[in-house]
Amino acid sequence: MTVSIDRGPLKPKVEVQFDRPYRHHEPRDQLAVRYRIEGCDGEHIRAIEHSVLWYTEGKGEEDLGVHFFQRVTDRTMLPPTATAGAFSTPLPQSPLSYEGVIVKVRWCVRVRLFFDGSRDFVSEHVFDVGHVPPARMLSSGA
Amino acid sequence: MARMVSNPFSTRHTRPGSILSRDPTGMPIDVASLLDRLDALGGSAAIVGPHGSGKSTLLMHLAAALARRGESVQRVRLHSWVDAPTVWMAIRRARPGDIVCIDSWECSGHLIGSLLRAEARMTRRRLLVTSHRGVGFPELVRCTTSPALLRSIVEGLPGHGFWFGKLVHRADIDQAFVNHGGNLRESLYELYDRFEAAKSPFSDVRRDGPIDHAGHAGVHHEIHEFTDGFSSVGAPERNLG
Repeated sequence: MTVSIDRGPLKPKVEVQFDRPYRHHEPRDQLAVRYRIEGCDGEHIRAIEHSVLWYTEGKGEEDLGVHFFQRVTDRTMLPPTATAGAFSTPLPQSPLSYEGVIVKVRWCVRVRLFFDGSRDFVSEHVFDVGHVPPARMLSSGA
Repeated sequence: MARMVSNPFSTRHTRPGSILSRDPTGMPIDVASLLDRLDALGGSAAIVGPHGSGKSTLLMHLAAALARRGESVQRVRLHSWVDAPTVWMAIRRARPGDIVCIDSWECSGHLIGSLLRAEARMTRRRLLVTSHRGVGFPELVRCTTSPALLRSIVEGLPGHGFWFGKLVHRADIDQAFVNHGGNLRESLYELYDRFEAAKSPFSDVRRDGPIDHAGHAGVHHEIHEFTDGFSSVGAPERNLG
């Protein structure tokens, strides 16, 4: 299931499929992703970037680490010639996904489309690495 | 592992550049008319306002609009007067007629600020700065806040229709505004905490959208958007090449 944001006539959609049920991976697993691009009729895509990264989410400063990055510029691998793609990478030992209260650690796959001109479109898909239990807020009486 | 709903009040969704610049009524600011005013003021000016009033957000949008119309724009954020060499380098790196956007100009201090400004004037670089008070630049706009402004910002956050009225209510937003004297940044931090506290026992909204065995994503795990040079999807995009 995907969503798209309508900002002008262009309505790109990137549908991503992970190789594991529930998008849950173990550290050092091989992550494999397939994707399909729709809604770019008539628009020239000059490059597609694939990335796998983790980032922190919370209040204040953020951090991130790019684990895998690949830029595709070969026209035979770009729309309209190819409207689907795939990439894979072994995941590292850490960091593990974490649902904290003040800070969270998330892993995601990003597919970024670069159109002619300066416009680009990012599609981000979160997945989990590891089994760290989520943090729970203590009740005021605890 | 149950994947949680992303907190819409986290920095990644609320930092400058991730949200629209709005006036106190909550309407988007007309950036084009501000650029016209900047030109009329001679190209250098200040965005003035108290802490958490949207100065940095507006500066980012103006810088992006300047870049879109083909101008060369340097961007610097000051944390203290120690960062003054960075500003000086940015001014020196710019070409005559270029514009240097400087966030938190007041951190440079009066003396160093005067020197930097003189350097820019002599070398014909333009400065667009944010400051908590008048600092000798013509005033481009004075940022003020209101409960309506905070509510409109909240309305624009991801998944608003999903969590508003369940985890965060209108009264929470207005209370946060009062608690922090109109400081939008601090108000959004308070709403972050409120969201975290409210979602814990709310099992129905803890899980994201449906995920099938093929690994298709649930709707709340995904962000799809045009960036126009801004990173509103988490990490700084420059790090991705």
